[in-house]
Amino acid sequence: MAHKGTSLKLLLNKHPYADAMIADIENFKKMTGMNVTWDVFPEDVYFDKVTAALSSGSTEYDAFMTGAYMTWTYGPAGWLVDLNEYIKGGKAAPNYDWEGVLPGLRSSTAWSGKPGDALGGPGAKQWCVPLGFEANNISYNRKMFDKIGVQVPKNLPDMMEVAAKITKDSGGAYGIGVRGSRSWATIHPGFLSGYANYGATDFTQEGGKLKAAMNSPQAKEFTKLWVKMIQDSGPKNWATYTWYQVGTDLGAGASGMIFDADILGYFMNGGDNKERGNLGYAAFAANPKATEPTANVWVWSLAMSSFSKNKDAAWDLIQWATGTDHCMFGARKMDLVNPIRTKVWQDPEFKEKINKYPGYLDQYTATAPKAQIYFTPQPMFFDLTTEWAAALQRMVAKEIPVDEGIDKLAASLDKQLKENGLG
Amino acid sequence: MARIDGTGSPIPRILRAIALVVVLVFFLFPILWIFLMSFQTNETILAIPPSLAFTPTLINYTSLISGHLQTAAGSLDLPFMHNLFNSVLLSSVSVLVSLVLGVPAAYAFARFRFRLGEDIAFTLLSFRFAPPLLVLLPLSLYFKDLGLANTYTGLIWVYQLICLPLILWIVRGYFEDASPDVEYAYRVDGHSWWRAFTRIAIPLAGPGIAAAGLLAFIFAWNNFVFALILASADKQPVTVGALAFVTASGIQYGQIAAAIVLSIMPTLALALYAQRWLVEGLSLGAVKG
Repeated sequence: MAHKGTSLKLLLNKHPYADAMIADIENFKKMTGMNVTWDVFPEDVYFDKVTAALSSGSTEYDAFMTGAYMTWTYGPAGWLVDLNEYIKGGKAAPNYDWEGVLPGLRSSTAWSGKPGDALGGPGAKQWCVPLGFEANNISYNRKMFDKIGVQVPKNLPDMMEVAAKITKDSGGAYGIGVRGSRSWATIHPGFLSGYANYGATDFTQEGGKLKAAMNSPQAKEFTKLWVKMIQDSGPKNWATYTWYQVGTDLGAGASGMIFDADILGYFMNGGDNKERGNLGYAAFAANPKATEPTANVWVWSLAMSSFSKNKDAAWDLIQWATGTDHCMFGARKMDLVNPIRTKVWQDPEFKEKINKYPGYLDQYTATAPKAQIYFTPQPMFFDLTTEWAAALQRMVAKEIPVDEGIDKLAASLDKQLKENGLG
Repeated sequence: MARIDGTGSPIPRILRAIALVVVLVFFLFPILWIFLMSFQTNETILAIPPSLAFTPTLINYTSLISGHLQTAAGSLDLPFMHNLFNSVLLSSVSVLVSLVLGVPAAYAFARFRFRLGEDIAFTLLSFRFAPPLLVLLPLSLYFKDLGLANTYTGLIWVYQLICLPLILWIVRGYFEDASPDVEYAYRVDGHSWWRAFTRIAIPLAGPGIAAAGLLAFIFAWNNFVFALILASADKQPVTVGALAFVTASGIQYGQIAAAIVLSIMPTLALALYAQRWLVEGLSLGAVKG
């Protein structure tokens, strides 16, 4: 009870992972004698609130939820505390078990701050600690698949065939749901997971300078198939599709499958969704020559504000929220669907719960070894990835042939990298 | 003459009625659709194909009013009614403060010529031009130092950026349109300028003040970003609160529709009540076409 009486304030996103933390917070208060309050904001405005709080140097919030991509801006700006000071600086509790966190998640949330340096590489600062994650795989409508007589696709060409058959034979549903809005969030789920599986990268580094690699042969091969798949079997208004539309269509039976976050498919299997109880899950390696999936991940994490006046106390809270006991609570009793710790995935009670979702545990087991962020960390992430999504939109709309569209995209990104001293 | 007394062919009247119905349906259909959605569950809203036949449910309204929402990810607490209260408080007090400050100021700008008068009036108008985000970050630093961050007082102060210029410039136009001779005559009778202002000028500009107040209320009600940046979750208005139905575990369309219905009620009631002044006011003053 080193910080008994200290008051902490958290900034949280409205998310089941935050709900799990709030449901268990009384335990933390009892253990530490601290008082904890929190502000929860809807995701649509959450990062505006975080950015405003941090950029104004607000001392109001001690710790907050973030995604790893956001720390590529927040960290180098000096708004975050490097949590290695605590994890490796002897301030972590003996039973914290940092090594028990999935390695891909640990590395995905650490970066040196130097554009192009590998995540989790030498000199990396731990900008945040994983709280829960999502990997991108297939969620599909088992009932529809059985009715039409198709199997879960094994690779991208196979997925194109299955999706086309669903579109043709399902009596109204389309084959494959993927995101398409003009946003970085269109590139990050299924697209980048498949792209990485074809051995493609977003940028290469030559002499400390970044160069766009969207026009590499393997990137072009994948992008051509992806664009054709959407044209043949994607949603009609694909260019407006975000997380919400992709999920809603699967839950309502308007699509046969999605290649998106596994937890999105998990949520659509419950509640008052029409297809609740009908969904299944499968790992997916897009490249027929690949031996295992390369799922890009979104990592909901906790970060500490540099402006906090209670840093040591805030670390106690971060440590508790990402520790084994709370992870176990969230996974067993709440919807901490993808816990960050291997030990929790092996827990019999959690396994029993998750096994009610057919294939979910298997897709995790197959995906976990290579589940990580496949983007190259750099400060222009949001701008450049949004342009990538805009280029995809033009290709899908047949405004420009794929080869030409990709070449133009790469040239434009190279120009911007140069202008900003990165290329 | 036959057409005027209504004894002629009924065809023009029927055509007019049909045209009126078409226009009404066109403009009111989205609101009607939202109203119908608010009595449905997500499952019926998302049914393929969509259907107008459904069993109505009050669950969306009871969730909002009780503050508990059932979603795919379990039961969630919803502070929607508190958000609604915040909107009513922030909008109405802001408009009241703006009226108290803005109407005398508008009168002064309309009736008196003084040094830097126009400059001051334009400076106040320029508050409406500033992009809110540009103002808010520096403002949040000042608010922190002044102890106004995360307070209703601070927010009402910032809401003056929305309400005050609007009220000042609209009401100024009404005062300028009203002849000052009536006030001069009143003052010749020995009354003070304050009495002339309160007994003559304000009643003459009444419709304009009502119209400006209502417009300012609508603008304040629809504001989103001020409270988001400057205040904590417990001070957020309904515009931010309504986004809570868009969650990672799905969009609660029924609750969103019910929230829209509830959140337009105060503005709608006010607009209906003030309709007669609004029409008269908008057709006379500074915003006339």
